[in-house]
Amino acid sequence: MQTAKRFGTAVLVTGVVALAAACGSSGGSGTSGGTSASKVLVGAGSTLVAPLMSQWEPDYTKSSGVTITYGAIGSGGGIDAITARQVDFGASDAPLSAEQATACKDCLQVPWALAAVVPAYNLSDAPDHLKLNGDVIAKMYLGTITSWDDPAIKALNPGVTLPSTAVAPVYRSDGSGDSYVWSSFLSAISPDFKSKVGVSTQPAFTVGTGAEKSSGVAASVQSTDGAIGYVTVAYITADALHSALVQNAAGNFPQPTTAAITAAAAAVTTIQPDGSVPLVNPPASAADAYPISTYSYAIVPKSSPKASQLKAFLTYAVTTGQGFGPDLGYPGLPDNIVTHDKQVIGQIGS
Amino acid sequence: MSMESPQPLTLPTRSRPRFGDLGLRTIAGSAAVVLTAIMVAIVYQVVREAHASIGQFGLGFLTDNEWNAVTNRFGALDLIWGTLYSSLLALLIAVPVAIAIGLYLSELAPSFLRTPVALMVELLAAIPSVVLGLWGILVLGPFLADHVEPFLGDNLGFIPLFSGTPSSHGMLPAVVVLTIMIVPIVASISRELFSSVPSDLKQGAMALGATRWEMVRSVAIPQVSGGLVAAVMLGFARAVGEAIAVSQVIGGTLNQSWSLFAPADTMAGRIASQYQGAATALQRSSLAYLAVILLVISLIANVSAQLISGRIQRRMGIRT
Repeated sequence: MQTAKRFGTAVLVTGVVALAAACGSSGGSGTSGGTSASKVLVGAGSTLVAPLMSQWEPDYTKSSGVTITYGAIGSGGGIDAITARQVDFGASDAPLSAEQATACKDCLQVPWALAAVVPAYNLSDAPDHLKLNGDVIAKMYLGTITSWDDPAIKALNPGVTLPSTAVAPVYRSDGSGDSYVWSSFLSAISPDFKSKVGVSTQPAFTVGTGAEKSSGVAASVQSTDGAIGYVTVAYITADALHSALVQNAAGNFPQPTTAAITAAAAAVTTIQPDGSVPLVNPPASAADAYPISTYSYAIVPKSSPKASQLKAFLTYAVTTGQGFGPDLGYPGLPDNIVTHDKQVIGQIGS
Repeated sequence: MSMESPQPLTLPTRSRPRFGDLGLRTIAGSAAVVLTAIMVAIVYQVVREAHASIGQFGLGFLTDNEWNAVTNRFGALDLIWGTLYSSLLALLIAVPVAIAIGLYLSELAPSFLRTPVALMVELLAAIPSVVLGLWGILVLGPFLADHVEPFLGDNLGFIPLFSGTPSSHGMLPAVVVLTIMIVPIVASISRELFSSVPSDLKQGAMALGATRWEMVRSVAIPQVSGGLVAAVMLGFARAVGEAIAVSQVIGGTLNQSWSLFAPADTMAGRIASQYQGAATALQRSSLAYLAVILLVISLIANVSAQLISGRIQRRMGIRT
């Protein structure tokens, strides 16, 4: 019966989202070019962009009269919601997989925020900002590096006394954009990780413990000596976690500052045919680039009943809206991406 | 908790139909029909959702321990193990405690204590599971990992149950959380059951020279044993189906270990954490397949509870 109850809840939640969407569309069509006050755009997805979105919502309503309603239900949930057309736009930190893109039927991906995933650890008797590299982290998550005084970690941290505490990797047990970025980075560095675990919003980790949502990962890392996990920058400061510095291709250990993330974005100009722009492990030419940076994407249908409102909001988000970013830890989008975004937004029709 | 349906109430019929009767019949009847229809609809929907996974993996799903969204291969063995292991362990701890509480409240406690204690036990059942899970993450898990598990490991580590490295997320906190959830259910039902034992039976036993313990053992417990079985099954169903609190503390890891310290995962927990935002369609279907398995387990538990308690009552010759 409990299962039945959960499914009932899922149905209920979907119903509420659908209702919100229905109210949104009736609000838009009911006025049909009349007053703009009742216009609503409904979105759902990534929790990573939620703080940015909470700045955009009031500001955009003030300037345009269109109300934005955003549900931070997680990237996977956002993809589901836009695939079912329950919302006007979805938001995801992972680009659509080929399967998801097919299911979504003519969806466009608009990179609209820049962020970074950071290794967090809890190790008593060790300082903050230990230095790690992709290979070491991959081995921790594969179970081949099992203690913090492993020679490979010592070699990266000369002069630091490391305890022999066991390494306890923590990962997201729910589908997550963070997991996607994290597993993309580790797969880019370690062929072993790529073949044994792979890239996914839910990678098949073979060792460690799972925790739900970023808050769960943060709590799990905090409560376990020797734990290492991954969260976005905001959680490091919010939960006062220790964060590790990760070596980039140039051999440096940049902090995940807005400048370092911008440097990564500037170094990668190739836009994939599916519209994604993978940023992990940027080339060595970008000496100060943070290696686990990522774009977060808005996912919108090519044909939307609210095309003009959607286009206006997305254009605001990738231009004016970026101004809110740096204070919240999101660097502004590079110019080439803004140009690309405008061209993608132009493809939306009704 | 009686397993035999009482005789339907027959009223003398009148020539003139009464609106009250008609109204009652309509309301009660439609409530029953709607509920049945909802149940059927849920089962239909779950099976339909699981169809792709059932077609792909068949019964092999039950014996495969892989759960991999990258390679799109899914199996439930580790999750079935985690579900049954955690539920049965929790039941093993909870049932004696709960029956003891029920006995205490109905037979042994001084009367001024009965109501407040019974109220506290029932309040325990009212704590939302997500709150219990949060407590599990923040308080229980670290406490077990820092104090209880090292102690158990040092002294009883030779038993597979207590081997391995202490961890704040794992089977032990899940079992404790489940136990806390089951105890109030079983305790309040058994309190009701023991209170329902006719007092002339109890007093008769006492009058024949039985001590209080002998009275409980030879009169009260046999008298209600059918109902106790049903209560235990209700607790089991609660444990098997609990998703949120378990997924918060169990560690969400595929594992098949006797160790209480090792992280694991349950079917309900996996559905709760992965259904929204499943990476592939087949993964979503496989999660629905897990729900089908849960439905079957619940069905088996319910039917066997009915059979067992029916048999006990027949053997005891109890008419209720």
